[in-house]
Amino acid sequence: MPSTPTFDSELAAVWPRLRRFAHALARNPADADDLAQMAAEKAFKSFSQFQPGTRFDSWLFRICRTSWIDTVRSRSRRAAHEAPADLAETLGYDPIPATEAAIDLARAQAAMQRLPEEQREVVALILIEGFGYREAAEILGQPIGTVSSRLARGRQALLTMLGEGQ
Amino acid sequence: MIEDELFFAWLDGELDEVAAGQVAAAVAASPELTARAEQHKRLAAGLKGAFDPVANGSCAAPRFEPTEVIDFGARAAERDRRRSWLAAPQWAAMAASLAIGLLIGTQFMGRAVSPVAVEGGHLVAAGSLNEALDTRLASAPVDDGTRVGLTFREPSGRICRSFSDASASGLACREGNGWRVTGLFPAAEGQRGDYRMAAGEDPRLAALIDQTISGDPLDAAQEKAARDGGWR
Repeated sequence: MPSTPTFDSELAAVWPRLRRFAHALARNPADADDLAQMAAEKAFKSFSQFQPGTRFDSWLFRICRTSWIDTVRSRSRRAAHEAPADLAETLGYDPIPATEAAIDLARAQAAMQRLPEEQREVVALILIEGFGYREAAEILGQPIGTVSSRLARGRQALLTMLGEGQ
Repeated sequence: MIEDELFFAWLDGELDEVAAGQVAAAVAASPELTARAEQHKRLAAGLKGAFDPVANGSCAAPRFEPTEVIDFGARAAERDRRRSWLAAPQWAAMAASLAIGLLIGTQFMGRAVSPVAVEGGHLVAAGSLNEALDTRLASAPVDDGTRVGLTFREPSGRICRSFSDASASGLACREGNGWRVTGLFPAAEGQRGDYRMAAGEDPRLAALIDQTISGDPLDAAQEKAARDGGWR
């Protein structure tokens, strides 16, 4: 069947990465799946606004990031005072040696959660999703210099949390 | 000394050839910078490695377009020939379930208000069914006919619950603050009326649960804890 790509086929191609991005932003897997689902629904509803010839993945990630800011983030804020203790415990007593290269998902998610949101989204897009600085800046609607300085601070903080004892 | 941002831009391959060459030379000349570069490469690889299993898992993308819905007739005919229910991909079961939901609509479960509704192209629990899924534990006595059977988690962590009453049985999974009905199976003609089917008894429902479940169903204490936690 000859066809222009449909929303469902575009989504299916990006879906695994969208879920991964949502997991990097959200505080737990259930929230992450809700977020990915919500982003996909919003994207479907506004698919007529998608410009053919531009990158569908960037467009979808932008919607996901906006959804996250709109909803999940406000929810995290409400629960924020209980989070630091839990996370500090997880990180502080982690039995994995500091030199161990492998990081498990829960530990990575907890560390990401401790980053300020503006660093977390940059780290998620560039280090986890592999976007270039310019593409990430376009998704976030921010100057490339801002993205680059947030990335530097974010990965420095992650190094302190996740590895390689200083 | 190299500024952080320049160092990381080099590490990420963001610099042009000339600038990259300069940073590479400075890094090579400094054991401290060389070690730092290695540290950060390992960090980036470790971080990506931690999240990669999420993208490599087999979680099917949701579908939104109505093409499958239009295909109902063919799918339903297949079902009637008793061919492909168990082998059909899950979306086909969902699509066919939606058709059934639309057909039986207000008659389902013998109430004036439909216990199912269509939102954003998906069948969702409404009215009494929504309330039963929100509040009712499997062990609760049933006084109005809607019984909840199994409660379990999908591989993604989302909670699903099976339900039944005299006229139908099905499966619903938590979505936002509601329940998306992922399967809905009318009871066979001879089984309607006073006969109440146990959740999970319908082989089509059992097959759908098998496709969906991750690990064991929640026990009574876990089910109650899940309810108290808003089915998250």
